[in-house]
Amino acid sequence: MKQLLFILPLAMGISSSPLAAAVDRTRKPQPDPAPAASFPDYHVRRLSNGLTVFVIEDDRKPTLNLRLLVKSGSAADGEKTGLASFTAGLLNRGTQKRDAAAFAKETDFLGMRLEAMASADSISVSAGALTRYTAPMLELFAEAVLTPVFPGEQFAKEQKKALSTLEAERQEPDRLAGKLSARVLYGAHPYGAVSTPESVRAISREDLVRFHSTHFRPNNATLAVVGDVKCDQILPQLEAALGKWEKAEVPVPQPPAPHPLSGVKVHLLDRPGSVQSNIVVAKAGPARNSGPIPELNVLNATLGGGFSGRLFQNLREKNGWTYGAYSSFDPRKLLGAFQAGAETRNEVTHLAITEILKEMDRLQKEPIPEAELELQRQYNVGNYLLSLESPGRTAQRVQDMDLYGLPDDFYKTYARRMESVTAAHAQELAARFLAPENVAVIVVGEARQIRAALEKIGPVTVYDADLKPEAP
Amino acid sequence: MPRLLPPQTGLTTLPPDTAPAPQDVGAPQTFFPGKWRSWVPSLAALSALSLFGSPLNGASTATPALETGIRPIQFEEFDLPNGLHVILHENHAAPVISTYVLYHVGSKNERSDRTGFAHFFEHLMFEGSENIPRGSIDKLISAAGGNLNASTSFDQTDYYFNLPSNQLALALWIESERMLHAKIDETGVETQRQVVKEEKRRSVDNQPYGTLFENLAAMVFKGTPYEWVPIGSFQYIDQASIEEFRAFYKTFYVPNNATLAIAGDFDPARARKLVEDYFGSIPRGAEVIRPTVSIPPQTAPRELEVLKDNTPLPATLHAWHAPAETHPDAYPLEMLGNILSTGRSSRLYRRLVEKEQAALDVEAFPFLLEQAGMLGVSATGQSGVTLQKLDQLIEEEVEKLKAEGVTEEEFQKVRNQKEAEFAGAFGSMNTRARNLARYHVFYKDTNLINTELQRYFAVKREDLQRVAREYFKPDGRNVLRFPVPAKPSGQPAPASNP
Repeated sequence: MKQLLFILPLAMGISSSPLAAAVDRTRKPQPDPAPAASFPDYHVRRLSNGLTVFVIEDDRKPTLNLRLLVKSGSAADGEKTGLASFTAGLLNRGTQKRDAAAFAKETDFLGMRLEAMASADSISVSAGALTRYTAPMLELFAEAVLTPVFPGEQFAKEQKKALSTLEAERQEPDRLAGKLSARVLYGAHPYGAVSTPESVRAISREDLVRFHSTHFRPNNATLAVVGDVKCDQILPQLEAALGKWEKAEVPVPQPPAPHPLSGVKVHLLDRPGSVQSNIVVAKAGPARNSGPIPELNVLNATLGGGFSGRLFQNLREKNGWTYGAYSSFDPRKLLGAFQAGAETRNEVTHLAITEILKEMDRLQKEPIPEAELELQRQYNVGNYLLSLESPGRTAQRVQDMDLYGLPDDFYKTYARRMESVTAAHAQELAARFLAPENVAVIVVGEARQIRAALEKIGPVTVYDADLKPEAP
Repeated sequence: MPRLLPPQTGLTTLPPDTAPAPQDVGAPQTFFPGKWRSWVPSLAALSALSLFGSPLNGASTATPALETGIRPIQFEEFDLPNGLHVILHENHAAPVISTYVLYHVGSKNERSDRTGFAHFFEHLMFEGSENIPRGSIDKLISAAGGNLNASTSFDQTDYYFNLPSNQLALALWIESERMLHAKIDETGVETQRQVVKEEKRRSVDNQPYGTLFENLAAMVFKGTPYEWVPIGSFQYIDQASIEEFRAFYKTFYVPNNATLAIAGDFDPARARKLVEDYFGSIPRGAEVIRPTVSIPPQTAPRELEVLKDNTPLPATLHAWHAPAETHPDAYPLEMLGNILSTGRSSRLYRRLVEKEQAALDVEAFPFLLEQAGMLGVSATGQSGVTLQKLDQLIEEEVEKLKAEGVTEEEFQKVRNQKEAEFAGAFGSMNTRARNLARYHVFYKDTNLINTELQRYFAVKREDLQRVAREYFKPDGRNVLRFPVPAKPSGQPAPASNP
């Protein structure tokens, strides 16, 4: 990638004299020529069993980090909601070689990290340690990935903790808003499944064993290696640790399409005692590999991407209704969503929602003024450049290209695409993706105080903390 | 991280290392998630705290350096005639720069009838200056392809910009403008009053355990300027006049009370010239008078029960006084924290979570400030577990540690953990600028960024038992309990304060 930033001088014809004795502080200084940055180099290799390995050499720290991305996540839970999460959580709780306590003792003693978590489309297993512990780290990592035994006693403990966690979530406004949004947006699609005490109790350790043996396969994963190593030196060690991992066919889930949203409907989760409302305005959005993602970044930033976004400027800086107001697209493998949100005091809940809908509408009705659009283009392009500082982030992007089936030049053309968004294109995208129709408004708050005002926005369904709708 | 900042309140809620960069669709902010799928955030996370301690001074410096493979962070530093301390770290790994300005003023510099003032003022620093129109600082940084944030804690207020490296002059211009002549008018004050109230509702009043740190500080640091938290109280911000804000600015936002650190892709000679040009003319302020915090010895245990309708699970927190961050005992105390609660092989995890299945999570945290500190142990109970049970288990483990000390294996483990923490730290230019400034201001030794690990290595195994006995005093215990209300949640709660 060549020029990432091209910046028009504010005052034409005035060349900056960089080392002038005194600065003119009445005006903004001119930038130097924009730095060039390109997507960092990485190596792609394959182990004998087909596992794709990405290696990013980085000698800034004497550490080595591994991240295995298994390309099945909670969307593959099937009837057992929470299964992928439980499977991830129990990988380090006992292997064919050592029990949970011995495993914890080994990893902790080395000062090694080993973490796994499930998201909608994948499970990541990450490890990190000093490079001098590469050999034991690889051994422990391979054990957790290849030969976990999911002991019944460890599973029972996690199941019990999960029930307490669900109890805690009944009082956490962010969690409640997230769960209700998922359910409303995605319905019967696996992205809409949320854990309940019943779903937690319905899982058995045999389910974990089955999920692991079905989905944890070298042909269904990629491995990123980042750190102070040379690709050619680490490969034989990876082959020794993971090469015997066996391939198998992995089923591809065929989930039902969600019921599309229609109209503008309010979903109010009653949380008595709330002194703020958590607001989420949600809409269906593009999937990761089908949407014009770089262009949507610029559009979204204009609406609610940061401090200069319209939502922040309107709801916070103009009205003082909230501490923050942001929006984002969440494009996943199979489907996606758009969400805009804020937390506001009870009295202004409906006003804030009205303004969010109005700002969405304005983007499809009026072209973005050129100065504002240029700001948002540069904001996105510049911050993309800043993000290239982190080799871990680069590794994640490389793995994402594979997971979502993005073209090889996706990140090579990323900045150029963000830089090229015109006002007309942005307006067209807004009409396609941000029109304030077929929208779900999710609110977690004190129904007694806010319900009546919410009726002005659309028909209101009230839910309890178990996400059960009240009889109308 | 070897060191996280104390609980703080910011311009936005993003963690210090997570700049509010634009959405990069589908990508979480970090490559490596923080924990195994954690079902419930730790008590500390629930209360929006960074409950980690801080190290310092003291351990023997004569210890020979161990070969760790960690590459030193090179820097140069100097003072301008007006007292501004400047630290430059040149690094060309990526075309980025971070500027970081630390003002040595936090909530402990506030009057007890003006709590929340320092943090509120931090919001006002985004209003503008003589030469920067109101509300345009963020726009200038965004249009230059950068991001920014700020935060306030007990001891400091900080401001940072991350930018492509061709924008160094812009960063220095803005920071010097608001150091020289920030502009504060009524319009901005009124809006930010509302914003800060929402910030408090969000992080404190509307969250389970949200008042935890407020209650804790009031109990442990009673009678000192650490007894209130940076977010402060609504009523005082409403009472403060514009003249008071101007006086606060004149007192604390002076070059002789500030440190500027710049890290990244720049030429040091040119950066120095720019710093001199932009900051050199800012007049030195009067000497800042700092409060002294002295906590009288605690002679009897204290307890406080916080009854809230929104408490979903029982939680308990035990805290004892500990020294300031620069005390030599800070290092063994930090190591005790690891032994008690870092990893599944740690003592409290094994006992409370694994063996007894009483807790969802446990955390031992030295929380050390510039002039005082505390050592805390917290646990969130599983559903139906009694607070008595949690308290008893914590007490047993603490007493056992005092009686038996730590094993050789635990001692080696914690040394390895500290080495791994330091090896993995200070990656981004932002983190480097931030920590260089912090080590200078609070430890008067900028190079500690490179040498602090040696202070952990200088701690002896016996020191761990010694500090356990010295600080876990039965009479000095402060216990804070969050019981689950008897009636089922779902009943209307009493109105939370403003």
